[in-house]
Amino acid sequence: MSKGYPIGGKTFMALKNLTISFNEGEFAGIVGPSGSGKTTLLNIIGSLDKPTQGEAIVLDQNISDLTHKKAAYLRNINIGFIFQVFNLLPVYTVYENVEFALLLQQYSGKERKKAVMEALDWVGLTSHANKKPDKLSGGESQRVAIARAMVKRPKILLADEPTANLDSENAHEILSTMKKLNKELKTTFLFSTHDEKVMGYLDRTIHLRDGNIEKDIIKKS
Amino acid sequence: MKLAFTLSIKNIFGAKLRTFLNVFVLSFSFVVIIGLKGVMDGWDDQARRDSINWQFGQGQLIHEDYDPLDSFTILDGKGLIPENISGLTPILVHQASIYPQGRMLGATIKGIDLSQKSVLLPTKALINSKYNYPVIIGKRMAESSKLSIGDEVLIRWRDKNGTYDANRITVVDIFDSNVPAIDSGQIWMSIETLWQITGLNNQASFFIADKNYKHKPINFWKFNSQEELLKPISDLVAQKNGSQSVIYFLLLTIALLAIFDTQVLSVFRRQSEIGTYIALGMTRQKVIGIFTFEGSLYSVLALILATIYGFPLLAWFADVGFAVPPADQKMGIPIADTIFPIFGLKLVFGTIFLVLFASTVVSFLPTRKISKLDPILALKGKKQ
Ligand SMILES: Nc1ncnc2c1ncn2[C@@H]1O[C@H](COP(=O)(O)OP(=O)(O)O)[C@@H](O)[C@H]1O
Ligand SMILES: [Mg+2]
Repeated sequence: MSKGYPIGGKTFMALKNLTISFNEGEFAGIVGPSGSGKTTLLNIIGSLDKPTQGEAIVLDQNISDLTHKKAAYLRNINIGFIFQVFNLLPVYTVYENVEFALLLQQYSGKERKKAVMEALDWVGLTSHANKKPDKLSGGESQRVAIARAMVKRPKILLADEPTANLDSENAHEILSTMKKLNKELKTTFLFSTHDEKVMGYLDRTIHLRDGNIEKDIIKKS
Repeated sequence: MKLAFTLSIKNIFGAKLRTFLNVFVLSFSFVVIIGLKGVMDGWDDQARRDSINWQFGQGQLIHEDYDPLDSFTILDGKGLIPENISGLTPILVHQASIYPQGRMLGATIKGIDLSQKSVLLPTKALINSKYNYPVIIGKRMAESSKLSIGDEVLIRWRDKNGTYDANRITVVDIFDSNVPAIDSGQIWMSIETLWQITGLNNQASFFIADKNYKHKPINFWKFNSQEELLKPISDLVAQKNGSQSVIYFLLLTIALLAIFDTQVLSVFRRQSEIGTYIALGMTRQKVIGIFTFEGSLYSVLALILATIYGFPLLAWFADVGFAVPPADQKMGIPIADTIFPIFGLKLVFGTIFLVLFASTVVSFLPTRKISKLDPILALKGKKQ
């Protein structure tokens, strides 16, 4: 597929006719310098964006064909997002931020509570449940974001440079948490990163440069 | 719904000062609109009640040639009292001039059956009077002619043949009514006395009906029901009400602009939050719904605040009433010194509905931008 952005009468190609597939349960990363098209690729997989040419098939659904509503439903049920800047909801407590993802689905109050506490336990933040995001460190904030993304047990988790705003200790902690969840829940993890620390954890590294795939390396386990 | 509700509450109480200002201005509109409208309703009610009690009774049977608003019809607008009628108080209208302290003043004499119980006019004061020509007048007439109880004044009129005649009448009572139509320029005397001094025996210009009257069509006379007679009063109050709408409109506009402004700012500042909602799988409609709900919550809070301080305030207001400035009392329509506002259910709930509806619309309009927002840019924190 390709993705072009119109810029001043011309089209800037952020993704150039690339072909790639991901396997269920993978722990894969898209690496490449800034501007290479990593975020664009993740956003298309996450149905926030659409390719301008070609097809993106996610969980048997063609992203180009999805209506706003269908795309929202896909994200709601099957896709979790983690962002570089955390994007926690400031007026909510940690607990409520995590619960939020479930409120969009049909969970009973009891089920919600159980799921939220479990998700906070995954990231080791049960004791911070009633804190507001502005009382958290960067590492804690990103762990809340992981809990929020994982609480609904999505099939795919998309993490766009999740460690870019973290020190190396927090970065390692987050990556090992995600690796553990990948093993336990069989969730497919897709990262975008240019952080060396992240690459060590990846089972598969896809190198992107100027919208093209340069290398696709699968680590032998 | 739970989502929208908790989120809105948290956001609204997060911005305390702005919320307080919005809510206060809006609650102020609630109270002022209900207060002013209550005065109007109270006035309407009082004017209707006074007009019924003093002027219209249960309706009037009027000679077909008589038009109470046209003094040129007085001469011909009368006829012999029909036989076999009941529940009607006859009134004969006649023109005259009085000469208080040497000035000449046009006046309308109204002869009325003294035993009447249709209206509150104190006609009993005219029964068995020691004076030859006792009359009663209202406080406005007393003021404009400078007459007091016990005063004598020269009166001149034409009899049935058009010949001038004159005599001295004595004011035996001055009544206090809010109805100018039976007061200003009016002199009330016994209908029998008026028959006698004019020679218009057994004639009447109109009748006031009481509760016993059952209308049957009758030649030369037409019946105006109470409602028909009251219509001009209600129309005038409605018209006054209409001109007051400017105040409501301005107040509401200010309050709604504040909400609108808050919403525009909110949608602009919270773009990354909106992007997050969309990324988490919320539909745009739902995001719009949440923001709209949040805006309309201001009016709900305003309602609560308005109840807290407006309820006792308006209750007190309804109790002590609204003192009408003297200048306003000179209008041609019944208006009391003090109007007691009436806060009916229709008024209160109508206003609440109006404000809730308007603030919801105003809350919604700025949120339409959300449907055009690019979630990717929003997530990056780029303002659109
Ligand atoms: N909305 C947009 N309009 C125009 N150009 C864009 C837009 N989004 C991204 N780009 C361009 O596409 C390229 C790839 O962007 P991105 O996917 O964000 O890269 P990365 O995440 O690898 O840094 C960049 O050159 C960027 O400037
Ligand atoms: Mg990027």
